[in-house]
Amino acid sequence: MQAGLSTKNAPSPSVVLPHYAAGAIFFIIASVLLFFASENLANTFIGPKILGLTHILVLGWITVIIFGALYQLIPVVMEVKLFSEPLAHISFYTLVTGTVLLSYTFWNNYINQTIYLQTGGTLIFISVILFVINVLFSALKTKQKTLENLFIVTSAGWLLLTVLLGIFITLNPVLHFVPKSNLELLKIHVNFGLIGWFMMLVIGVSSTLLPMFFIAHKLNRTFIHLAYYFTNGGLIFLMLTLYFDTNILFKITAGLILVAGIIFFIKYNFDAYKKRLRKKLDIGMKLSVFAFVLLFLTLIFGIFSVLNIEILTEYNSSIYAAYGISLILGFFSALILGQMYKTLPFIVWLKLYQDKVGKFKIPMPAHIYSAKVADWHYYSFITAIIIILTGVFLKESILIKISAVAFFITASLYTFNTFKILFHKDKSELLN
Amino acid sequence: MLENLSVTEKQILERLKTIPDPEVEVNIVDLGLIYEIRHNEKEKNINIVMTLSARGCPVGDTIMQHVETVTKAFLPEYDVNVELTWEPQWTPEMITPDGKALLNM
Repeated sequence: MQAGLSTKNAPSPSVVLPHYAAGAIFFIIASVLLFFASENLANTFIGPKILGLTHILVLGWITVIIFGALYQLIPVVMEVKLFSEPLAHISFYTLVTGTVLLSYTFWNNYINQTIYLQTGGTLIFISVILFVINVLFSALKTKQKTLENLFIVTSAGWLLLTVLLGIFITLNPVLHFVPKSNLELLKIHVNFGLIGWFMMLVIGVSSTLLPMFFIAHKLNRTFIHLAYYFTNGGLIFLMLTLYFDTNILFKITAGLILVAGIIFFIKYNFDAYKKRLRKKLDIGMKLSVFAFVLLFLTLIFGIFSVLNIEILTEYNSSIYAAYGISLILGFFSALILGQMYKTLPFIVWLKLYQDKVGKFKIPMPAHIYSAKVADWHYYSFITAIIIILTGVFLKESILIKISAVAFFITASLYTFNTFKILFHKDKSELLN
Repeated sequence: MLENLSVTEKQILERLKTIPDPEVEVNIVDLGLIYEIRHNEKEKNINIVMTLSARGCPVGDTIMQHVETVTKAFLPEYDVNVELTWEPQWTPEMITPDGKALLNM
């Protein structure tokens, strides 16, 4: 085994592949739920249906796929084997079951204490604990003390805090731990999850993967270091300002530190994009580039939601909703849609053809899915995003319904390709 | 680097051009990933030194295995050793003019 090689450390495909399958199904479910939550979303940014839909998206769609992708990626960036595959299996099943139960409860009963809520919450907590153990113990084995690893470990820590606070929120009204309303605590919970867990991980992982896929070299790594410190610092500061309900100036400062961190991250990847060797982008990278457009949009909505500008009061609820949509359904989803094409075909290709290279005629990873179908869902996704944001600002539920149809088409086409890759059969032929 | 190659070493290099990097679909020779080919007639061994475009490349050892298989198929009576190095680090300047044309650079 030579340093820098990762295939021999790769986990069994059975650890990783179910995550991609389940994530795709959850994306379809989310698009259906969006259709039925359209009335709510046109008028507010919070409520039972929106909470149910959000948890299907952040846990079922995004977190499930991220867990799977990380199990594949940890051996690559840490150059060690994953600490425990059985833990990863248990974590998958508890996460999927917990997400269904929790989202079902939120959709129907909001946060009343029910057996579904308690069971769902417990299962997700178990899943996260097992995931964090896997990440931390893998990190302890590695000799690669890189910034990417620090990002992964830090994001796992924020994920743990997010889930703990989520449980705290459901218990606080009954047990009165702190004199805070659920909405106040919910804001901290949301920021822990979106910025601490997702964004931290995305920054760390993207800083490795995107330049590798762009084939870009000589990038200034200082920007990624700055992104790490500003994003973490800004998040801690924001949490304090939200908890102690400080004046607006502190909140704006926290917001600006966070924005600066994300701008450093964008700058680093923009440099990679400019210096890329591959001028023609494949579908995976086209979607990833579009994700950054949506991230920029998220920053704008984020700034407006913190500033709370008086003349825009009428649109405050729309701005909050647009912020969440452009981040969750926009940036994170586009990145997942795109990066699936940069990871899953390789995993399946390695599984089937690793031992056949040079001896048989074999297809390339890019040939085991339909490029046409991928192109179609690229356009349907862009259409869906434009329509949903328009619908939210115009407060028109019919537009949100139309966007849900476009998301359904996107999710279905994406799922078609995911399963086409997952069920790809060996097509090797003897060399002449 | 790839200088003063013998006839056999040149033939090996030509065969290595059939190996694509699965990510970019350009062959590894034109990508500049092959640093050295040493063919030792007496000891019946071939030593190939190569790199990858990025550390942690997920298909790295598959490419190396491919190099070994192709070389072995050409000269079955030889021992083939494929060595990975990160020194010097690969840079885009190492791509050949043909590789640049394939990448539309």
